[in-house]
Amino acid sequence: MIRVEHLYKYFDEFCVNDDISLEIKEGSIFGLLGPNGAGKTTLMRMLSTVTTPDRGQILFHNEPLTSKHIPFIGYMPEERGLYRKMSVVDQLLYFAELKGLKRSQAKEQVKFWLKRLDIIDWADKKMEELSKGMAQKIQFISTILHQPKFLILDEPFSGFDPVNADMVKDLIIELKKGGTTILFSTHRMDNVEELCDRLAIIHKGKKVLDGAINEVRRSYFNNQYDIHFQSKEIPAQLPHWATLENTQFSEFEHLKIRVQVIDPNQVQELIKWAQETHQMIGFQEYVPSMHQIFVDQVKTA
Amino acid sequence: MKNILVVLKKEYLTRIKNKSFIIMTFLGPVLMVAFYAGAIYFATQGAEDNRTQTIYLSTQKDWIRPGESTINHNKFIFIKTNQNRDSILASIQNNTADAWLNINDLDLQSLDSSELISNGSLSLTQNSAIEGFIKDEIRQKILQNQGINKSTLDSAEVIGGINSLEIGDSGNTESSATGIKSGIGFAMALIIYMFIFIYGSMVMRSAMEEKTNRIVEVIVSSVKPFELMMGKILGVALVGLSQFFAWIILTLALISGASAFLKIGNTTIPQGLETPNGLTNSNKGLELISQLHSLPYWEIGIVFLLFFLGGYLLYSSIFAAIGSAVNQDTDVQQFMMPVSLPLVFGFIIAQSVVFQAPHGKLAKIFSMIPLTSPVVMAVRAPFGVPLSEIVASFTLLALTFILMVWLSAKIYRIGILSYGKKPTWKDFVKWIRQS
Repeated sequence: MIRVEHLYKYFDEFCVNDDISLEIKEGSIFGLLGPNGAGKTTLMRMLSTVTTPDRGQILFHNEPLTSKHIPFIGYMPEERGLYRKMSVVDQLLYFAELKGLKRSQAKEQVKFWLKRLDIIDWADKKMEELSKGMAQKIQFISTILHQPKFLILDEPFSGFDPVNADMVKDLIIELKKGGTTILFSTHRMDNVEELCDRLAIIHKGKKVLDGAINEVRRSYFNNQYDIHFQSKEIPAQLPHWATLENTQFSEFEHLKIRVQVIDPNQVQELIKWAQETHQMIGFQEYVPSMHQIFVDQVKTA
Repeated sequence: MKNILVVLKKEYLTRIKNKSFIIMTFLGPVLMVAFYAGAIYFATQGAEDNRTQTIYLSTQKDWIRPGESTINHNKFIFIKTNQNRDSILASIQNNTADAWLNINDLDLQSLDSSELISNGSLSLTQNSAIEGFIKDEIRQKILQNQGINKSTLDSAEVIGGINSLEIGDSGNTESSATGIKSGIGFAMALIIYMFIFIYGSMVMRSAMEEKTNRIVEVIVSSVKPFELMMGKILGVALVGLSQFFAWIILTLALISGASAFLKIGNTTIPQGLETPNGLTNSNKGLELISQLHSLPYWEIGIVFLLFFLGGYLLYSSIFAAIGSAVNQDTDVQQFMMPVSLPLVFGFIIAQSVVFQAPHGKLAKIFSMIPLTSPVVMAVRAPFGVPLSEIVASFTLLALTFILMVWLSAKIYRIGILSYGKKPTWKDFVKWIRQS
C-alpha cells in the first residue's frame, strides 16, 4: 500500500533521513523503532504530506504521494495540541471538514466517536476545561474521524496513562480489523511485539533493520540455548564444541547457563550431555528479544 | 481552495463568537466618542488658567487701568505701585504679588526696556496676553496721537474669510472644503493604520498560537500551509470588516441620535440671545453642509476600501510569517519593530506633509511606495488624486502583496514546524531559499 523508495531528507547539511526504503502492506501494522533523534518523526511527517522529501519518493497505492491523498491519511504527531478556546465539537468538526468530510457526515462521526469513547457529555465544553486524558482521547478521535485508510501515529502511547494506553491499543487493533493500515513509532518494545506485523529500526537517519518480527528475531538466533539445572554448581567442563555465554541463577535459585554451539545439529548432543552429567530440568532455545536486538543495533551502529 | 474557506470560516466564527469581540463592537463607538469628547473637554478646560494673578504695575503713563481686568480669558489684578525695585522684588519673592510689570513708556515704539518679572506662576499664555495687550494699547495710543480715533479704526476692520472655491469636473465652482477634506483624509489614514496593527497582529497571534499549542502539525497534515495562512488572513480581514461596518452603523446611529438631541436644544434658544453675527454662522453651517455634499464620496470610498484591504493584506502576510517563526511572545517585538516602521513613517508623512501639500512631491512619492501607500493615499484621497496615480499605486501595492504572500508562505511553511531557538533574519532568508 505504501512504498518508500530511497528517501532522503536534509536539514541544512545534516542528513536526517538517509536512503530509507520501506514497504507497508495493506491492513498491516508497521512499527517504526529508533532512539530519539533517529529521524522517525521526519519520516512520518513526509508520509503524512506535512513535508516533502528532498530525494526519493513515496508511493501510495503505486501513485506518488500528493496532497490529493490527504483525505485517506490520518496523522497524530508526537506533540499533541488542540485549540484551547474551542469547544470539543467545533474542534472535531473543523478537523473533519479540513479532511474533506461533509458537515453532516462529520457530525455523525463526531457523535459516534464521542459516544464510543464515553466523552459525549463533554461535547460542548471548551478544551481548556478538559482533563489531559480527555484531551488525548479527543486528539485521537480527531485523527481517525475521517476514517483514514492509512494511519500514522507518532508515539501513540506516550503521555497516556496505562488505562488510556490500553484503550489506544484496543482501538489500533480494532482499526486494523476494519482494514486500516497503521504505522506507528514507539520505543516501547512490548507494544511492538504485541501489535506489529512488521517493523523497521532507524538509527542516525539510516534504516538498520526491517522485516516481520518473527523473521527478525529468528535471524538473530545464534545457536544459543538456555539450560536449567537442579544443582547450583556450575558444570566444571562443557563439551569442547560448546561455549559458555552466560551464567545466572533463576528466581528459584536454579542454575541457568546459556550455551552456544557451533553446529545446530549438536543440539541433541547438548541435551544428552546436560541430562546425563548434570540434572537438567529445562532446555530452551534462546532467541533474542526485540529489546535486545534494538539495543544491540543502536549500540553497534 | 475549499480548505481556505474552511479555515476562513473557522477563524471568522470563533472570533465573532468571542465575548471580547462583541463587547468591543458595541462599546467601541461609545468609547471612541467618549474618548474624543473627553480629550476635547480636557483640552479646552485645561488650557485656561483660572487663577487670578496679582500684578504690580509701574508705569509713567496710565495705559493700563489698575484693578481687575480680563485679557483673553486670563484674569489679572493690576496694582499700581511706586515702591522701589528692591522692595517690589521682595514682595514678589514672598508671594504678596505674582509679578511686576515695569513699563518704560517714555519711548512709545519699543518695549525693549520694559520688563515683566514673576515668581514663576505666570503661564506662557498669561505672559503673551499681557504683552499683546500692552502692544495693542500702545498702537492705539500712537494712532490717536496721529488723530485717528477708535471708531475710525473699527470701521477699517475687515470681517469674514475668503471663500475658497475650486473648479470641479463639470466646470462649476465648488467650495474646496480643505478643512473637511483634511479631516476625512486623516480619519481614513488613522483607521487604516490602526486596522493594520490591530488585525495584523491578530493574524500573527493566531499563527503563533497554533504553533505554540502544537496544533499546527495536525492542521498542515490536512491543509497546505499556504491555504492555512490565506484562510487566516482573509478570515481575520472579514472579522475586521464586520467590526468596522458595525462601528460605522453604530456611529451613524449615535450621531443622528445626538444631532436630533441637539436640534431640540437649538430651538429652545430664545431669539433675543442670538448673536449679531448669527447670520454668518448659519451661512457657515450651510456652507459646511454643501461642502460635505460636494465631496466625491464614491471615489473616496472606493479608494479607501482598496487601500484599506491592500494595506492590511500586505502587512498581515508579513505578520503571519513572523508569527509562524517565533516561539514566544517576547521574541515578537524584535521582528515587529522593523516591519512596522514603514507604516509608522507613512502615518507621520500623512499627518505632516500631506496636509500642507496633498499633491506635493513627497506625498506623491510615499503614496507610490507600497509599504506607506495605504496610509498616505488615504489622506490624499479626499483631495482628488488622478486616476492614473491611483491605478499605478494600487497595482504596485497588489504586486507587492502577491510577492510578499509568496515569500511569507515559504517562511510560514518552515517556520511553523521549527521549534527551539529564536529565529534570526538569516533563518528567514534561508527558509525562503529552502522551499
